[in-house]
Amino acid sequence: MIESSLSLRLNHKNKRKKQLKKAKKQNTKSKTFFPPSMAKEFSVRPVIFPSSTPSTPYTRRPGSSSPPPPFQTAPRTSSPLPFIPFDIPSTSSAPPPLYSGIPIASSSSGYFEDEPPLLEELGINTRQIWRKTVSILNPIRLDPVLHEDGDLSGPFMFLLSFGLFQLLAGKFYFGIVLGWVIMASLFLYSTFNMIAGRNGCLDLYRCFSIIGYCMLPMVIFSAGSLFLPHGGTLIFAIGMVFVFWSTWVCTSLLLRLASCGDEHRGLVGYACWLVYLLFSLLVIF
Amino acid sequence: MLNCSISAMYNPNMASQAGPQGPPPLNPQQGPFGNAFYGAGSEFIKTGLGAYGEKFLGSSSEFMQSNISRYFSNPQYYFQVNDQYVRNKLRVVLFPFIHRGHWTRITEPVGGRLSYKPPIYDINAPDLYIPVMAFATYVILAGFSLGFIGKFSPEALNYQLTRGLLGWFVQVALLKSLLYSMGGGEAALLDIVAYGGYLFTGLSLGIVVSMFWSLSYYVLVPWLSICMGVFLVKTMQRVLLTEMRSHERHSSRQHYMLLFMGIAQIPLFLWLGSV
Repeated sequence: MIESSLSLRLNHKNKRKKQLKKAKKQNTKSKTFFPPSMAKEFSVRPVIFPSSTPSTPYTRRPGSSSPPPPFQTAPRTSSPLPFIPFDIPSTSSAPPPLYSGIPIASSSSGYFEDEPPLLEELGINTRQIWRKTVSILNPIRLDPVLHEDGDLSGPFMFLLSFGLFQLLAGKFYFGIVLGWVIMASLFLYSTFNMIAGRNGCLDLYRCFSIIGYCMLPMVIFSAGSLFLPHGGTLIFAIGMVFVFWSTWVCTSLLLRLASCGDEHRGLVGYACWLVYLLFSLLVIF
Repeated sequence: MLNCSISAMYNPNMASQAGPQGPPPLNPQQGPFGNAFYGAGSEFIKTGLGAYGEKFLGSSSEFMQSNISRYFSNPQYYFQVNDQYVRNKLRVVLFPFIHRGHWTRITEPVGGRLSYKPPIYDINAPDLYIPVMAFATYVILAGFSLGFIGKFSPEALNYQLTRGLLGWFVQVALLKSLLYSMGGGEAALLDIVAYGGYLFTGLSLGIVVSMFWSLSYYVLVPWLSICMGVFLVKTMQRVLLTEMRSHERHSSRQHYMLLFMGIAQIPLFLWLGSV
């Protein structure tokens, strides 16, 4: 008895399901606006902008399964969002274009997606800058591979923040810092190449980049000096510690990147020490 | 000399440029004069202006190098130093009395001509590393002593730099005129510049000591200037001996000139040391 009632209920359920399916099919059929071949591909009405300029419509033969002709875009990373082209031909003409992952270039507007992002175009690799900055913080374990290609944006940020902290202390040193950094890198560049002789292969760009990155301890010092009493032995002692930190990192990087061997460590180290002493002068006095 | 590989000059991760690529440099420039341009600037500047820079700097640097080698001997020779040489040379410069050995420079025949051994092998050879570093130390120490007085400003430091450069020039002019007056004017210019720059070592030492005890400065200055005078006299004697003709050796005029050079160090020290 129970089984029969169960089986009856199941049959009833199946019947209901079939009826629902039929109704659904009828509904979709009634709402379809497109030719039957397109019905499987999309189910949303395209948006028609009234002010669109009639350009050459992007036609596609119905039923063809090949992808749209490849467009010359710059190689870019994946763009998961689909793009709706701005100008769309009128509905009376060819069928509307598809959504596609590859952006379609319209005639006038919508050209932005072909250009690389601004930072990439400028050559500012923020992740690399961050990694280089963090590597300076640990003077014992240095990674010279990170610093092999020079970079001007990191040093500029450090110099600007150095000038900013000095500005907070009431001294306007932006131009002076820039001038002194240029002179210091010229000095270090010529001295290093002369001393290292045949093995030395430092170019001015990389020299400037290394000096700029090793300014990080000086930037920290200039920030800290805002809270210390001006012109005393304490600030002098702390300054010497930071200068020594900067010198150590700069010398190690220079020696490992641009020459082979440690033979002139003292000589190059003295030159670097002079450079960072110069900047500590600005902070202490 | 400075044979940098071309690959080192170009950034390996340079983005592919749409603009015109400059022609690659035909030969890496020798010496520091030509190298300076290739490293500076971003990639765009490198490729865009590199083409023009190659045109302007390339031709002019060759011209400069051919002419400069007439007046300046190879500057790389003066930087072949190591730690041990620097330490010993400093001792010789600051306390020339304790130098036991002779003062002549060792010569060696190189390619048919007699040339001096580089500073690593010869304690008496002049070098440019110590003078340049001593000069920079002098400027920074002057800045520190200005700061302790309370008169520090970057403009004052620039003024000290100019004064130091002027003092170096005066010293070089003095030495050169001395040599000319005695007929030994063929000494290399960079040699004289190096000898002239050694005064900054004593000067820096004087300033360091005077930072701790201000009166000691007036004790140190005569001592240091006498030391420098003795050092210069001994070196110039050797230079004159090698350069001069035989009939004018050991003349009293020569001795008086050398003595004058030694005494002239005192006002020079006093002027440069008064920060």
